[in-house]
Amino acid sequence: MQQEQITVDLPRFGPCTFGASEVIEFPWGLPGFPTLQRWLPLNLDSHPTFVWLQSLDDPSVALPSVDPWMVFETYDPKMPAYAFTSLEIREANDFATLCVVVVTPDAHEMTINLMAPVVINLRTRKGRQIMLDGSDYSPREPMPRKTAEKASASSKSA
Amino acid sequence: MLVLSRKINQSIMIGDDVRIVIVAVDRDQVKLGIEAPRAVPVHRSEVYEEIRKANQEALGAAPVTSGKPERATLRPRTKPPH
Repeated sequence: MQQEQITVDLPRFGPCTFGASEVIEFPWGLPGFPTLQRWLPLNLDSHPTFVWLQSLDDPSVALPSVDPWMVFETYDPKMPAYAFTSLEIREANDFATLCVVVVTPDAHEMTINLMAPVVINLRTRKGRQIMLDGSDYSPREPMPRKTAEKASASSKSA
Repeated sequence: MLVLSRKINQSIMIGDDVRIVIVAVDRDQVKLGIEAPRAVPVHRSEVYEEIRKANQEALGAAPVTSGKPERATLRPRTKPPH
């Protein structure tokens, strides 16, 4: 299907072309970025482990994230009702889950926000960061060594 | 800020569909019951604040990276939750 192609020059990554249908809308923004509603998920060929959530409303904003199950196989977030209701998610195949990570510049220390997963409805391409209030998951869970090394090694081998 | 006095089991309405009930008071702690539509998130303010800080830290600490940006393909979780 022919769709409108958009090219933006991203301060962090350089020029990037994408289709309008690839944009993810966050109607409620993200905590800390309440007015940034349009985001594009990007992979860098040098860092395949990460999905960068790139803001299209403020190109200087990009948050690294990972699939939490790549790091913690037993991660079992109990999503509050508002997550699925507000995003109109009906079944498990409808949505993807990402967790924002904090990475030190040398990529040796990373933490992952397991308390507030980003949930994206893949059908409607709407997303929201969900707070697991009352859960034991930490917003700054240290990333296991193995994963951190894999991520930094993948950046060297590319 | 609007300030209202309430007794135990009394409540206040916010809009047409959010009700907050004073369930119990014990010295400096108040227990609240909250009835809100399923689509409305309810969480403690400090949780929101913590996530806001963590997001901004993720932005500030993000390493300078090079590499060709490609659109990421997002997938649902393949392994069903147990």
